[in-house]
Amino acid sequence: MTVEEQVREIVAKITHVDKGIITRGSTFKEIKADSLDVVQALVAVEETFGIEIPDEDAQKFQNFGDFVSYVESRVAQVEKV
Amino acid sequence: MSFEKKLALVTGSGRGIGRAIALKLASQGADIIVNFFRRRETAEQTAKDIQALGVKAEVIRANVGDLAKIDEMFDIIGNKFGRLDILINNAASGVGRSVMDIDVKAWEWTMDINVRACLLCAQRAAKLMEGRGGKIVSISSLGSFLVWPTYAIVGVSKAALEALTRYLAIELAPRGICVNAVAASFVETEALKFYFDEALNKDNLPVTPAGRMVTTEDVAKVVAFLCSEEAFMIRGQTIIVDGGFSVSSPLVSFKKKD
Repeated sequence: MTVEEQVREIVAKITHVDKGIITRGSTFKEIKADSLDVVQALVAVEETFGIEIPDEDAQKFQNFGDFVSYVESRVAQVEKV
Repeated sequence: MSFEKKLALVTGSGRGIGRAIALKLASQGADIIVNFFRRRETAEQTAKDIQALGVKAEVIRANVGDLAKIDEMFDIIGNKFGRLDILINNAASGVGRSVMDIDVKAWEWTMDINVRACLLCAQRAAKLMEGRGGKIVSISSLGSFLVWPTYAIVGVSKAALEALTRYLAIELAPRGICVNAVAASFVETEALKFYFDEALNKDNLPVTPAGRMVTTEDVAKVVAFLCSEEAFMIRGQTIIVDGGFSVSSPLVSFKKKD
């Protein structure tokens, strides 16, 4: 499973939406994710990939695609190390 | 008051009230463990500011709502220092909702961080305080007995925290550990903006009989006092720091005379 597919599954499970409706352009509002959902998704992704996503970075995410791109780049950094 | 050679863990001390408490204890000589969850930059900055006061600071990331993370944090403290003198249960979270909109997820998230974590941290801390006469202070809120819009879950969690404080105070007294809480009214922090951004702005924040809002430093000073030997006979209490707000009548204006 790709990083994007894994993140999509995590977000869908937390927000109880069909993962089919989550596209890279979906905003958190469109996915019906409230602030608690977002924090829980961040924590679940952190634990899945062994990375840390500080709020300073997370606040810049405009949509699901931004979130995925960030996780992809962080995972790539971890793999390099 | 001096906390030289004392080691203090302040949960959620990257910012707001926790940061002020960490700096206050550090200014009186305590080494500080800065715990944070979501904002590393602010926690690292707090640690730098503590070190600038000439004491040691250690940053540990842990979501105190997660039992395993609490255990990991205390394992680090135990292995590295083997002791703890002061625990400040400050980390808090919550979801701003009216009672009819509260769901189980929001309830459990808030209770796990605001109450369960305080119990679990106190249990682990008490073992590291063995024979040292430790101090535990938890940060509560006037929302434990006053009703504020969308504050229900947090208010209930703080009421439970105050009850927990009384039980801990009595049951840990034979171990020489003093346990108390501090409850503040509106303190200008990011958390205040989170809950009351729409309802409150600088112009309509309630003025206290004391003539100004409570600051993070006001809270930190009382916490430091409760951590001192001068407060040895205060047990299981929730000390209110609100400039008289909670005992004042809404019928009376507190605006200062010019």
